[in-house]
Amino acid sequence: MHTHSSIRTLDELQEILHGAMQLEHATIPPYLTALYSIIPGVNQDAAQVLRVIVVEEMLHLTIAANVLNAVGGTPDLTRPDFVASYPAYLPDGETDFEVGIQAFGREALTTFLKIERPATRPERLKAGNPLLHRKIPPHKTMLGSHPSNKELHFYSIGEFYAAIVDGIRELEGRAQREGQTIFTGDRSRQVTSEYYYSGGGELFPVVDLKSAIDALELIIEQGEGDGGGIYDDDEHELAHYYRFDELVKGRYYLKGDKPGHPTGPQLQVDWDGAYPIKPNLKVAEISDGSELREATIAFNHRYGEFLKLLTLAYNGQPSLLLEAVPIMFEFRNMMLELIRNPLPGHPGLNGSPTYEIGRDAAGPCVACQAGAVA
Amino acid sequence: MLFPSESALRADPQAVAGSSDYDIVIVGSGISGAIIAKQAAEAGKRVLVLEAGTGVNRSLVGYDDLLTTFYSAATKDNQSPFPVNANAAMPRSPQLRKLQAGETDSSTYIVQSGPYVSDTTYTRIFGGTTMHWEAKTPRMLRSDFKSRTNFGQGLDWPLSFEEIEEDYRLAEQEIGVSADVEDQSYLGQTFPDDYVFPMRGLPLSYLDQQVNNGIDGTSVDLYGQIYPLKVRPYPQARNGIPNPAYDGGRGYRPIGAVDTHQVEEGGRCQGNTNCVPLCPVQARYHSGKTLAKAFRIRGKSGQSLVELLPQAVASKVVIDPDSGKVVALEVKVYNDSASPAHETITVKGKVFVLAAGAIETARLMLSSGLRSTSGLVGRNLMDHAYLLNWALMPQICGTMRGTSSTGGIVDLRDGPFREKQAAFAIDIHNDGWGWATGAPTSDLLELVDDRNLYGADLRRGLIDRISRQLLLAVMLEVLPVESNRITVDPQFTDALGNMRPILSFTVPEYTMRGAAYARQFSRTVFARLGAQDHTSYAPSDFGYVAYEGQGYAIRGGNHLAGTHIMGTTKTNSVVDRNQRSWDHENLYLVGGGSMPTIGTANVTLTLAAMCFRSGRDILKYLH
Repeated sequence: MHTHSSIRTLDELQEILHGAMQLEHATIPPYLTALYSIIPGVNQDAAQVLRVIVVEEMLHLTIAANVLNAVGGTPDLTRPDFVASYPAYLPDGETDFEVGIQAFGREALTTFLKIERPATRPERLKAGNPLLHRKIPPHKTMLGSHPSNKELHFYSIGEFYAAIVDGIRELEGRAQREGQTIFTGDRSRQVTSEYYYSGGGELFPVVDLKSAIDALELIIEQGEGDGGGIYDDDEHELAHYYRFDELVKGRYYLKGDKPGHPTGPQLQVDWDGAYPIKPNLKVAEISDGSELREATIAFNHRYGEFLKLLTLAYNGQPSLLLEAVPIMFEFRNMMLELIRNPLPGHPGLNGSPTYEIGRDAAGPCVACQAGAVA
Repeated sequence: MLFPSESALRADPQAVAGSSDYDIVIVGSGISGAIIAKQAAEAGKRVLVLEAGTGVNRSLVGYDDLLTTFYSAATKDNQSPFPVNANAAMPRSPQLRKLQAGETDSSTYIVQSGPYVSDTTYTRIFGGTTMHWEAKTPRMLRSDFKSRTNFGQGLDWPLSFEEIEEDYRLAEQEIGVSADVEDQSYLGQTFPDDYVFPMRGLPLSYLDQQVNNGIDGTSVDLYGQIYPLKVRPYPQARNGIPNPAYDGGRGYRPIGAVDTHQVEEGGRCQGNTNCVPLCPVQARYHSGKTLAKAFRIRGKSGQSLVELLPQAVASKVVIDPDSGKVVALEVKVYNDSASPAHETITVKGKVFVLAAGAIETARLMLSSGLRSTSGLVGRNLMDHAYLLNWALMPQICGTMRGTSSTGGIVDLRDGPFREKQAAFAIDIHNDGWGWATGAPTSDLLELVDDRNLYGADLRRGLIDRISRQLLLAVMLEVLPVESNRITVDPQFTDALGNMRPILSFTVPEYTMRGAAYARQFSRTVFARLGAQDHTSYAPSDFGYVAYEGQGYAIRGGNHLAGTHIMGTTKTNSVVDRNQRSWDHENLYLVGGGSMPTIGTANVTLTLAAMCFRSGRDILKYLH
């Protein structure tokens, strides 16, 4: 049985990079849903914090695709398991935790902090196999597993990325010794800064070991911060964990602040200032024939089409990302429609996007089964 | 880029008053002041920027509050995001009314002394008028700098296009202009071989494309000369796709949002139609971005070299009668925009820069008793005259999508006809008839109140009406005329006791001849498009001007210029070619007010370019 944690073949590297894309994408539905669940006119600061983080997660997804393309892989966001089934499991030390689709609030924020938390391994676990063995219930998504054994999980997201970095170094070193390189990808498949920019990070082409490491370090630093510091190494950008911490503490961080002790201006959070959506809703729970059910299915379809478009964009047609922009506006509107309408038969609860992409959607689907049999 | 927390700091008025080591004191935080402040700080100079507005919008929360004000405003005019502040009042166009012959209307901030009533506006707030501008950034044409020589009209600049060309490129860099050289190389405009704009051009809207389909390949004949027609994209000060070929292949980094807590990083243009008056994602440039970079520059002691004192209204320029040099500014500092209570402080510095816009800078000079040797302070007031033409397209054109204007008909910006009549550029308005009729609100009211539509019929009715709307806004050249002017009078003062500007203006005949032609031209375009003309000008309109038996409603363009005109001697002008006052060697009057003519270019890019030139001259003066 496969028990080592390292990445030993190019196939494994490509597969774990797919896993990285899946992991980066997995944070987007929870963050987006929480963002759009906020009632207009309240939680201005929280909405902005969420917005900047979700935009950076989209950057990370694209960076992972760039690295995968650089090593000759083929990004595919249309794989049946690409979009996590929520709640999904993320590694967080010895215990995993669930990441679900829910409204903005204290509970959501607790989860978000866990997602971005820098997990450090206790002394007693430093020796031996860094992977943890876990059984995951069927039909559940466990993120951050080893590419060759889905039941073996990295201790933390940090170690998951560390394994990718080590694997790239190792495989490229080996290739170089044979006068070759693993960076055989077509340069024109790289998505560059023409298509994404914000103050926090930049897209650059991944073409060799150095640019690959730089790219992965950007993901790591923006998420967890760099080894305990609250800002990235340029001292400019606040890590996601501390952005969420600002909401918990009700105060902004300033440069020079110690983790957990922000000293900037106060900010207001209205913990009830969100629409009461039903957490981890599934299409099957929505009354047959209701408009909400139709709208939920329509959203899943549109989101699926969006992932198809992204797949094309990551496969040599980066300019398609411009066409993706109006679609993002479109599905924002579709999401708002779901979130702001009552869920039939569940008094006091609203609808929600279900992100059942490719699982379709409407529970047992007779036509699909018939098709599969035929 | 991310902005430092210094951006949100406010200087202490007492410390400012007690300080004697400012190298440069700048009045106004608009683009002119911002460029000079940043340039000076980069050279290690200590700068104080005085801003009349409250300055709350220099942080993201304050900026977003302006958006909220805009969203909830009943009338979405240019000033609707900006709360009323009697201590730093500004013109608000919905308040205007037509004047009787000889009448003066002092009920609005600008006292209208007529005969023409101008709805021109400027914004007295942190960021100045770049907080509401449309952000089109065409350069002036070569011939615009030599109107007198070429056409026997207007004035020649004391600068040639060649002398300002490099500063145009600096301004395009600072602003982050999105445009493609091939689209802008018309009417003899040239660019260095390797030049590209910082960002690629923004695409033409669907409406632009529909208009182009109807006119491309056709032409008009004017005084025997043939002018081909097509829709060309405008250069824009809004974030597009950075051009990797910029700066010799180093590329360009777009400027983000004003934000001190890293919660918003500034986006790319999303085509929001409400980008005038205020871009919801700060994709549109405003001078707060330049200032945020300036605030970041530190001196040897670690302190920020640029300080901002908001809520500070400059009220008097104090001159040493012997040397003619400026010794100080008197500044009224208020605590609360709801109360006129204030203290008056005196601010000292080595060089003083008045960058408060063409009307406020002239007002400050005149109310300080400084008319200049030439007597031209406040005179030669110019603003583009707009003539609106509106029609319904035969097909759905997607009106209301895209920023307010992405393309236009600009081939009549130049030609021998300028010996006889004004040149013009035409904007195609993606926001429909709004400027002319108040659409889409007016359409909604009519469909509901007059036609009793609701539900699906109402939705269909709105789409039929609004998405076929075409507005051609003709921007006409206005030349300098000394009697078009700003004056002051102690009987008209504001809440702080500062004298208010009085505006006297007659739309020049040269412009009206152009307007009459532009009306015919618009009809020709509508006919070629199969569009149904709905244009009408009411004699009761405040901007109604009769010309050769026809009436036209003329609108202001908010492209104010000329009030401290630039020239070759102290008798023919107020400032020299570096915008330095002829009479006061340590005083610079910068911005549109220095421009001797404005051609058919929105003024901001040109005045930004001029400020780079002045910035260098100020540094030379200080050394």
